[in-house]
Amino acid sequence: MLKVKDLKKKFITYDKNKKKKEFYADNGITFEVGKGQIIGILGPNGAGKTTLLRMIAGILEPTSGSIDYDGLTFEKNEIEIKKKIAYLSGNTKIYNTITSYELLKMCCELYDVPKKIKESRIKEITKILNMEEFLHNKIENLSTGQTQRVNIARCLVHDPEYYILDEATSGLDILSSQIILDFIKKEKERGKTILYSTHYMEEAENICDYCIMINKGKIIEEGSPKDIRKNTKTTNLRDAFFSLIGGTQNEK
Amino acid sequence: MKNNIINILKKELREMFRDKKSIAMMLIIPFMIPLLVIGMSALFEYQTTGVEGTYNRIGFAYETTKTEEEIIKELGIFGVRDTEEQLKIKFEANLIDAYITKKDNKYIINGDDSENTTVASKIIETYFQTYKEYLQTNYLENNNLNAENLINIITLEKNIEKSENFFGNYITVYAFLFIIMAITISATYPATDATAGEKERGTLETLLTFPIKSKDIIIGKYLSVTISSIITGMLSLILMIIALLIAQNSFQIYEEIDLMLPLISLIFAIIVIIAYSFLISGLCIAVASKSSTFKSAQSALTPLTFISFFPSMIVFMINIKTNLVLSIIPFLNFTMLFTDITNGNVEWINIAAMLISTFIIIGIILRTIIKQYKSEKVLFS
Repeated sequence: MLKVKDLKKKFITYDKNKKKKEFYADNGITFEVGKGQIIGILGPNGAGKTTLLRMIAGILEPTSGSIDYDGLTFEKNEIEIKKKIAYLSGNTKIYNTITSYELLKMCCELYDVPKKIKESRIKEITKILNMEEFLHNKIENLSTGQTQRVNIARCLVHDPEYYILDEATSGLDILSSQIILDFIKKEKERGKTILYSTHYMEEAENICDYCIMINKGKIIEEGSPKDIRKNTKTTNLRDAFFSLIGGTQNEK
Repeated sequence: MKNNIINILKKELREMFRDKKSIAMMLIIPFMIPLLVIGMSALFEYQTTGVEGTYNRIGFAYETTKTEEEIIKELGIFGVRDTEEQLKIKFEANLIDAYITKKDNKYIINGDDSENTTVASKIIETYFQTYKEYLQTNYLENNNLNAENLINIITLEKNIEKSENFFGNYITVYAFLFIIMAITISATYPATDATAGEKERGTLETLLTFPIKSKDIIIGKYLSVTISSIITGMLSLILMIIALLIAQNSFQIYEEIDLMLPLISLIFAIIVIIAYSFLISGLCIAVASKSSTFKSAQSALTPLTFISFFPSMIVFMINIKTNLVLSIIPFLNFTMLFTDITNGNVEWINIAAMLISTFIIIGIILRTIIKQYKSEKVLFS
């Protein structure tokens, strides 16, 4: 189980007059995720979703609060936690000058996949994601959809327990997005926990068991899509979100 | 931990050796070293031997005797006979370098303060010294005196030790400066690519999600840059040795001089090159990792290129003697020790001091970068 408690992240910026300004990208986020669930982290751009997921993935250090993976914390068990998780974001890029096979082999080595099963694991993943055709091509020569499949493949090599997917379908065409959505559904069936951030509310509505709506670094609503619709007396999550923030004008 | 360092090292080396720009940066300067050694040698040879051959056009405003003609021929003088007025015109038209006029037994060298006249005057002085000795010998022998005893009443013999292989040392140290430059340039590109480049391409975020300690990431990257620098350094050294061998057999200035470094000096040179590669790679990574884009990292590294080269130039120009204190000053120490190596006066204690100071500095640099990679600054700086 993943427990996130009162998570805060403060950033310091400087305005035009070089005056120091502090702001909280996330301000007191708390939630828990059980095994085999897909949790949607929803909110507009700049709501604090990426910062939250980066903290949960161990890339950013929280200003305060705690993250607990099955009793393990980043302070004491960083490496063990990172072996349990896979992080994929819309911004995540992979090494262009190497082939898909070399990347998967490197990931196996970094995640300590036993030598005996390394080749069979790569073969299995390659088959699942239909990558045989371009496995030995340099990544820089692949199409966006093929690159996305390689990106998913690198998340699968160590068979993680938790997937942290940040705007993973953002900017992708319908086919490439579907590859990711199918992958999420399959992994849920395998009992994996998935944290999925998006600003596409319809997408979240279709695949998430539970949704956390964030705005300006704070949770404004949480529950199953059905419960959120019911609580806000709306018919979809998009309207629910606008209802919660008081309409588009208020957001502006 | 060891495995992760090796995995990162493998990844970085794979990327480096597949990148044409990285390869070009590793090879461009080393391949300039032979050109430099041979070009500089040709220049030295021209300065020492070529000048006299060039400024030997001397005018004679009087009838020369048969003996004088023989001396002119012997000294390789290109003699021009004419009237004083005509020779003056020829001199002004730069057709001759100087001319001699004669009044009774007094000879006058005419010209100006140009390099042509200065060199030609030396040739004329030799000419008259030879002619004077001939006339004196003749006069003494005509008066039944032993010319041999009188002329050699005192003898002068030069017992000056040959200056320590001046041209050889100069060219070797100069080539070493180019080795330093080659290593520096070779380190900047992969260091930028492995840090700021990775940040710019968005792959650093991916790397930070892997179960690897930031220490392992940095050490892996650092070792890859160091390996690239060492390859450049060694290649430069090999090319320098080949170029010195060619120069040795092609230029007169290196006659009776052994340009080749003895084995012990070569070992010391390799130690200095390796130590410098370790230092400059660490510095390049430290500077480049603070930048967010490849371009800004390149700009930030430009001053470092000058800083690394400047102390070496000072040592090269001013003859400073190496001591224990100077051996611990980064950049200065490498060229000083290499100069000592070339002269054959290197001391183990100075090499040891350089190595200790270099590895202390590297330790401090690595600690700073590891700290940076532990914080989010590495992603957002």
